[in-house]
Formats: sequence, structure tokens, C-alpha cells
Amino acid sequence: MKTFLRNTILHAALALLIGFGLGLVYSWLISPVTYVDATPALLRADFKDQYRIVIAASYSANQDLARARARLNLLGDADPVGALSAQAQRMLANGEPFEKARPLAQLATDLQSGYVSEPFTPTPFPTFSTPEVEVSVTVTGDQPEVSEEATFTPVPTVFFEQTPLLSTPIVQETATPRPTFTPTASPGVPFTLVSQDTLCQPAYSRLLQFMFMDARRIQQPGIEINVTWNEGEDKFFTGFKPDLGNGYADFVMEPGTVYNIRVVTGGAFVADVTAPICTDETGAEYPGGLLLTFQQP
Amino acid sequence: MPFMGIIPFMSSSKIITLIIALAIGAGLGLVYGWVIAPVEYVDVTPDLLRQDYRIDFVLMTAEAYQSDFDAAAAARRLALLGSDPPASFVTSTIEYASANNFTPDEMRMLQALLTAMQTYQPDVNPAP
Repeated sequence: MKTFLRNTILHAALALLIGFGLGLVYSWLISPVTYVDATPALLRADFKDQYRIVIAASYSANQDLARARARLNLLGDADPVGALSAQAQRMLANGEPFEKARPLAQLATDLQSGYVSEPFTPTPFPTFSTPEVEVSVTVTGDQPEVSEEATFTPVPTVFFEQTPLLSTPIVQETATPRPTFTPTASPGVPFTLVSQDTLCQPAYSRLLQFMFMDARRIQQPGIEINVTWNEGEDKFFTGFKPDLGNGYADFVMEPGTVYNIRVVTGGAFVADVTAPICTDETGAEYPGGLLLTFQQP
Repeated sequence: MPFMGIIPFMSSSKIITLIIALAIGAGLGLVYGWVIAPVEYVDVTPDLLRQDYRIDFVLMTAEAYQSDFDAAAAARRLALLGSDPPASFVTSTIEYASANNFTPDEMRMLQALLTAMQTYQPDVNPAP
């Protein structure tokens, strides 16, 4: 009797396990849960890339940083800024034009800085002390007489008197006072090398760093740099490492190799750049780094 | 005893016990496979996105189109949502937007995208 009971329990447990296995096979393989309401975080990596491109393109149009940030968060990236930068770099590495990668880099930069920073925003006009001009016109026959008197006051105001229409008006042109504008940097102004610093720290070993700024010392993203040497050439842009600065770019040098640097956007040229030789505390030599700073005049 | 002929060495009560155990096991397996630990999809395609995400994707496409007026790029982006004509996605988005009080600017952008997609000819405007 005891054996019979033990056998029955054993068989029942075995049947339970077999049933459980069959249930799993059916629910996992034959008829799994079908997702119809997926979130962007579940998208395949290449579709996530496309999603980021559309977010960046949309941001370029509406400049709504909060909305772009919220949309990026839907993708569930641990580091949305890093993901944008990495994707932009991948696109450039794959030979895609900079214009396609630029919105991604721009969005990464703006997310990093926390504000919208369109590169070509209109510069605010300076304030001037404009002379006040009073004009009075007196009509004598067919020939209007114009007399002008100019006095300088801080606030520009202009008074006009109604002038009757003439059949053949003869108006003497007079020079209008124009304000003088403070010169500001523009995208076409060439960069000049303002400093070349040797970095003798192991962390910067062989690292050729670039920093680009405009006349107001605001870092400039999207500057194309071309580095050539005997055996090759490399091309890259500033702004793809926003955590290090919008105007930052870097390149790893080989010791003993001579590099020529051409700033494609802006036209500067720096020849014969090599990794400097540094010595550590023990006196051992190692290749150091360089920081080249460019600025628009 | 109907089972006695099939499995002559088992009693009917034992067979019923096994069948019940099998059924319980299967039920537990289904609950585990469907509810507790369902198959996790991690590489889904955009056509499986929830409706509001799809709507937002179309809206983003409309915003981008408002800036670059690139109908081919907009059509390629909308094609990620499925094999239906791009204009159909925009149409359904406009219906959703009307029912959910989207802003007039958003409605205008969606209308512009709809017009572009209705007139877009892939053969005439090949993708670069």
C-alpha cells in the first residue's frame, strides 16, 4: 500500500512536471505574448539610431530642448548625450556627410550645456548715441527747399512735416547718419593659432587636442579639421565630445610622426606638429600631448 | 474502465490523478510563460510601437519636414512605421491630433506633411 502511494505521488509529480514543460513550450514558443504596444526603449539598435536622427531633426526645427530631452529619455539610454555623440561619430566614420551628423552633435551639445545654442543666432545690436535730426521742408514753387539742423541727443527721434506732393519733385539726397558696428566673428572669418601648449602629463600622452573659439571666446562646434602625415590622413570635427567643450576635438599622435594640420572651416594651417618628449619623475621619457588653441580675430 | 485496455497495468484512479497533475502542470506552465516570465522582446521594430509613440514619431517627422522640406527623407522616416503608404500614417495622426487637442502649429505642420506625402512620388524623387 505504501509503495503504491509512493508510486502514485511520484507519477503525479512527474505528470505535473511534464505538464509544466508543455505549458512553457506552448507559452514561450508556440504562442508567446505578442507585443503590440512597445515602447521606444525596446526598439532594435538600428531603429533607435533612426529614432535619434528624427528627434535631432525635429529639435533643429523647433529648438524645444525639453521636448527633445523627454523624447530621448524614451529610448532608455543610460547616457543620452553620449549615445548622441557616439552615433554622430559613427555616422562620420561611415562616411556620411557632416550635415547629416550635425543635428545629433548640436542636440548633444545643447543637452550638455542645458540651453539652445544655434551657431548662427543673430547678434544683438549694440546701443548707440544717434544724433537727432530735425527736417523741415518748405515748398517754394516747383523746387522744395530743405534745411537740416542736427543736434546730438541720446535718444534718436525723427520729426516729419507733411510735404505736399509735387508733380515733379526734386529732392536733394543727404547722407543719413549711420551707426558704427562693433565687428563680431562670422563663420567665414579664418581661425588663427593663438597658443600651442605642451601637456606633459601621462593622461595626455600622444593626445593632440584642439580648441576653437570665436572672437568672443565662445567655443565653436562643427569646425572641420584635416590632419595629414606621411602615411595617411584623418578628418574630424569639433563638438563631438560636448563634455569636453563644444569647440573641442582631439587626435592621437604616433611618436616621431610629423603632422600637418589644416582647419578646413576657416583656413588655418599648422605644419610640422609632433608629439613632444616629456620626462616623468623617474627621468624616463614619454611622448606628451599638445593643445592647439585657435581663435577668430 | 475505459483506460484499463490502454494501460492495463494502471488503475483508473491513478490515470485520472496523472491527467489532473498533467493539466495542473500545463496550467502552471502557461501562467509562468505568459504572465510571470513572458517572452521579452528587446529588438522590436517601430511598427510595434504603441499608438502615442507612433503619433509622436509622425509629429517629429512633420517638424523636421517643416525645417528641411525634404519629402524623400520624411517618406523614408515614415516608412519605418510600416508598409502602408506614408500619407496614411499622417492621416491617422491628424485624426488623433484633432481628437487630442494638438496645437494649431502642430496641426499645420501635420497638414503640410500630409500634402507632401500625398504628392510625393518615389520614382520622381529618388532617395539619395
